Parts: sequence; C-alpha cells; structure tokens
Amino acid sequence: MATLEVKDLHVEVKDDEQNKTQEILKGVNLTMKTGEIHAIMGPNGTGKSTLSQTIMGQPNYHVTQGDILLNGESILKMPVDERARKGLFLGMQYPAEIQGVTNAEFLRAAMNARRADDDQISVMAFLKELDKNLALLDMSESMTERYLNEGFSGGEKKRNEILQLLMIKPTFALLDEIDSGLDIDALKVVSKGVNSMRGDNFGSLIITHYQRLLNYIVPDVVHVMMGGRIVKTGGADLAKTLEKEGYAGLRDDLGLDVDLVDEN
Amino acid sequence: MEAVHDYTALKPELAAAANDHGEPKWVVDRRLAAIDDLADAALPEVNRFDIHRWPLTPAEPLAFSPSATDLAADVPVAADHVQIVQVGQTTVAVNLPADLADQGVILTDIFTAFREHPELTQPAFMTDIIKSNEDRLTSFHTAFLNAGVFLYVPQGVVIDAPIEIHLVQDSTQDDRPLVSHVLVIAGTDSHFAVTQHLTTQGDHANLASCVVEVRAQANSEVHFSSFDELGANTTTYLNRRANISRDATVDWAIGLMNDGDTFGDFDSELIGENSKSDAKVITLTGGRQRVGVNTRVTNRGKKSTGNILQRGVIMEKSTLIFNGIGHIIHGAAGANAEQENRVLMMSSKAHGDANPILLIDENDVLAGHAASVGQVDAKQMYYLMSRGITEPQAKRLVIRGFLSAVIQAIPAKDVRQNLTDTIERKLENGAEVE
Ligand SMILES: Nc1ncnc2c1ncn2[C@@H]1O[C@H](COP(=O)(O)OP(=O)(O)O)[C@@H](O)[C@H]1O
Ligand SMILES: [Mg+2]
Repeated sequence: MATLEVKDLHVEVKDDEQNKTQEILKGVNLTMKTGEIHAIMGPNGTGKSTLSQTIMGQPNYHVTQGDILLNGESILKMPVDERARKGLFLGMQYPAEIQGVTNAEFLRAAMNARRADDDQISVMAFLKELDKNLALLDMSESMTERYLNEGFSGGEKKRNEILQLLMIKPTFALLDEIDSGLDIDALKVVSKGVNSMRGDNFGSLIITHYQRLLNYIVPDVVHVMMGGRIVKTGGADLAKTLEKEGYAGLRDDLGLDVDLVDEN
Repeated sequence: MEAVHDYTALKPELAAAANDHGEPKWVVDRRLAAIDDLADAALPEVNRFDIHRWPLTPAEPLAFSPSATDLAADVPVAADHVQIVQVGQTTVAVNLPADLADQGVILTDIFTAFREHPELTQPAFMTDIIKSNEDRLTSFHTAFLNAGVFLYVPQGVVIDAPIEIHLVQDSTQDDRPLVSHVLVIAGTDSHFAVTQHLTTQGDHANLASCVVEVRAQANSEVHFSSFDELGANTTTYLNRRANISRDATVDWAIGLMNDGDTFGDFDSELIGENSKSDAKVITLTGGRQRVGVNTRVTNRGKKSTGNILQRGVIMEKSTLIFNGIGHIIHGAAGANAEQENRVLMMSSKAHGDANPILLIDENDVLAGHAASVGQVDAKQMYYLMSRGITEPQAKRLVIRGFLSAVIQAIPAKDVRQNLTDTIERKLENGAEVE
C-alpha cells in the first residue's frame, strides 16, 4: 500500500504580470492511500489546480509551509520528472502541445523513463498495450501518429491524458477537471478509462467543479475546498448534497468568510 | 578585411585552365568578365552580421584535379534512385532511369551541360536568376567555378521520386575550394522534388561556395530540400535562388547543419502572377560557429504568395543571425507575404538575432511577421517532465519539435531520419561542452 500525504500545505504563487505574490493554499491537509478514489470539489479560483500542480512540482508554485510526503518521504525537493518516476501523475487541465513529437513516441519515452536501461519496453509489447487502451477509450489509431496534443480538440486532449494514464500506470493520479468540455458520451468513455485503473495498487485524486463526473467515477472520499483550505470531508453523498445546495449554501452553513468568484 | 588580391593578374592563367578544361568560349568569357567585376564588387549586405574577414574569395588559381571516388563511399547509390553523386570536381555516379531520359530529362555535371546544352545553360547560368556581377561573392563564384550539376525537367514531365544531388567536398588537402553550381530548369507544367546533401571529407580548411539557381517556368512545381552538413573547417557561402513564373511554386526546406562558419543567402523571386514560395530554414549552431542567413522573398507578381519560416537553436558560444526579408514590389496587388523567424537560446554565451525586414511598396497586400529570441518553452518542458521524462531528453524533444517544420518538408524518409539523427547528435555534443 502506498500513501500520499499533504500536511498543512501553504502555497504562494507569483503573478508575473502584476509582480506580486499571493498565498493561494492556506493549510491543506489530506491523506490518501492506494485503493482509494478521492474527489476534491470546490468553486472556481479556490486553489484546486494549485494543489495538484504543487503536488506534481510545477515550479511557479512555492511551498512556504507544510510538506508533501509520498510513502513517508518528502518530495518537496524533488524535480518534476523524479516525482513522476516515483509514481505521481497529473492529468492536466491545459495540456501542452508539442509539435514534431508523435504521441506514440512520447508515450514510449514516458514508459521507458521509469524502466531500467536494460529493461526498455519492446515495440511489440508497447503496441499491444497501446491498442488495448485505444480500444478502451474509443480512440482512433491515427491519434498516436499525430503530434502530441497539437491541434487536438478539447475532448481529444482529455482522452489523450487518460490514454497516458493507462499506459504509464502511475501509483497516484491527480486528475484536474478531466470532465470539463466533455459531452456525456466522452465523459462516460473517460470515466471507463479511470475506473479500469481502480484496484489495490492505484489511488486517484479527482478534481472537479461539478458533481456529474462523480456519478461515473464514484469516489470513496469527497473533500470540499474553499478559500485555499479543505473545509469539509465526507462520503460520495457529500457531492450530491453540494450539487443541491451549491457552494454558497455550504459556505453559509459553515459560517465561512470566503468570496466565491461565480456564486452558484 | 581579407587581403586585397590582384585577381586580374590571374586572368591569363584562368583562361588557360578553363580552355584546357574544354569549356565553350561563352563560359570562359563569363569567367573573365567576372574577374573584372571582382575587383570593385562589394560584399553582399548582411544585417547585423560581419563576413568581411572571412576567407570567402581566396585568390587561388583555377585548377581542375580529380578526387578519390571512395570519398563518396558513404553515399547510398542505388540503380532505382534518380541521383547524381560528385566528390569535389569528380562525378562518381549518375542514375537517370531510361524512361526519364526518354522524356528529355537531363541530369549531368554542369560542364558537360555547358558544352552539350548551351541553349539551356547559357541564358540561365549566373545571368538571369542570380547575376554574376551582383556582388563580390557571386562574381567570385562565376570566375572560379570548378564543379556542379545541371538538371532539366522538360515541359509537362512529372517525377515522383526525389532527385538526389550528393555533393561531397574533398578537403583532404589544402587549396581545394569547392565552387559548385547547381542549375535547375523546371519546364512549364513540370513537377518534381530535389533533395541535395552536402558533406565534407577531410579536415583541411577550405572554402565551399555553393550556389543553386532554379528557374521555375509557368505552372511548374519544385520542392527543393537541402541537408547541409559541411565540415567544421569549411567556410561556407550558400546562395540559393529561384525565379518563379506564373502559377508556379518553389518550396525550400533547408536543414543548415554545417559545423563551420556559414553565410546563407536564400531568395525566392515571385515574378509571375499567382506564383508561390514557401521557404523553411532550420539550423543548429555550436562551438564558436557563426552562421548568418538572409532569407528573402520578393513579391513581384500579382496575387503571389511567399512565406518564410526560420528556426534556429544556438548552443555554447555560437552566433546565429536570421534576417527575413520580405519585399513587395509596387504593382504586386493581392500579394501575400508572411514570415516567422525564431531563435532558441540554449546557452547564455551564445548570441542570436531574428530580424524581420519588410519593404512594402504596394497597398493591396497581406503581410505579417513574427520574430523571437528565447528559451525552451517552460510549459512544454514541464508537461514532458511530468511524465517522468528527464530534463535533457525533454529538451531534445522540445527542440526537435521546434525544428520539425523542415524535417517534415523533406520528401525522403531516410533523409528525414538522417537529419533527425544529426540534430540529436549536435544537441548531445552541445550539451556535453556546455
Ligand atoms: N500560475 C499562476 N499565476 C498567477 N496566479 C495563479 C496561478 N495559478 C493560480 N493562480 C491564482 O490562484 C487562484 C487559484 O487558482 P486555481 O488553483 O487555478 O483554482 P481552481 O483550480 O480551484 O479554479 C486564482 O486566484 C488564480 O488566479
Ligand atoms: Mg482549476
């Protein structure tokens, strides 16, 4: 069993345009284990992406207090690629586009990066795994010869993030708004992909603004984040309550003093 | 400034060498006129780049001497390829399938062409497309020409396989300048691709003055790619220009991978109505190498379209200047000219510049430009590394992507692979010395 712990995490981000630093996360605590699916819900601008990017190690986010531990070991000083090789994966809200590098070539490089030099994946084994996952995600084979995310539609990018998840098989996957911009059919396909990973050796933190996704990927634990903190934790039904009452309702119930970007 | 030579003193010797070489009188006359021009001609203008001290016009007598053909041992020669292979001044192989020869296609060394096809070569060679007296380097080229290729594709002929031109510079000795001219005439409605590969054998310091002229007649389509891999001790002058007629297209895909100092002057003259050109240049510089490139598109014809895309990666203490020159002549109504020049800096000790220069003398046009000098894209690096890919490998992938425009435009798969391998090797070498 593997664990991912976030302890009293405070994170600042520097806005390059205004050249001022702003504290986004103000003491986040969270513990997950493999075998569990956690969801984080919260209004826009509350720091959900900041949390996932900080766990992954995006250099713009600065930890000012607290720690992130993977299997008891602090990862704060590790560069991004090392965190990935230790088993972390971030399905991004806005994946980068890279011209001239095919999807297939990239996938192989990513898979081989976490394997020993004398144990690189064979072309046959790679293609077999690729075909299986393409079928599962209802993706055409031609997607793999296209350049990485270049000219992909929003939905294709999301599917491609999940394809990477299935190929790389991380221990913990942080999935940031994989539902945004998806129609219901695509949402089902993406959910099927994530659900296929479920098991004792996999844990996931699913970030979403809406409850809808959680009908398809049913979480074990739901956290609500507001104003840079986790303000409430519960079971799958918490998401449903939230859907009914809205973030503003919960905020008022808890007597929090938090501005919501878009009251809903 | 390079030492001032008394070139005119070389005239009798030069005429004798050319005559002994069996050249027609018009060629010898053109050489002698070029010698006269040399004395006063200025070097070409290269914005923000200084070539005055480069040994680009050595005053060595014109000499013809064979090279060892085994210097071309690396060149894949195959009967089913359309190709010509030269080492220095020596033609090693010419493969022209019979069906193409029957259709009137000519692929031969340039001196044979001067003798046997003066009706085609005399009106074109250094007179019509590039003019011999334009500057010091063009004059020198005409005067001291010692190698080259002539390709003629007659009206209506379509060739599917790329026509390969392999030129191996013989630098196994001193005083062996390679002054090589590739003349391409594309007849009306013809359609073909040329892939040129320049390499050097030997490490003596020599000049390479390599000029390409393309005349694309009406409604023809020519895709010219060049993979330039001249050696570290070669000082290179490249001049490549196309005159493009009505409804004709000439595309350039240039992978400038020379290891030595290089000045490149690339030019598309969009003369006819609705003519088109797409000029793509990539380069990767390292060590103390200096590379300056002028890529010019001149829109003369109405509704002509010209694009320039230049991308370079600079490492260590190298210098790279990209000048993109877009000139729209008065009367070229409906012309379209876009350009993008980008330089990626891999070292703080490298020096790079990307200069768009627009000269627009017509109102009814669409013109745009983009230029940048910057670092590897942080967002792309983060994305790749978030998948476990190490920083050096991620960098190589991002750079390969940055340079992919030209790689994709090369028709032959093995050439694409070779270019990719060369880029990887240069990046690895550059990273080690950093
Ligand atoms: N890279 C960044 N630069 C500047 N501000 C940022 C950056 N990332 C996040 N922020 C700010 O931090 C706050 C939280 O953003 P984010 O974590 O994206 O929220 P969420 O994902 O919950 O919508 C917002 O006010 C946002 O503007
Ligand atoms: Mg977000």
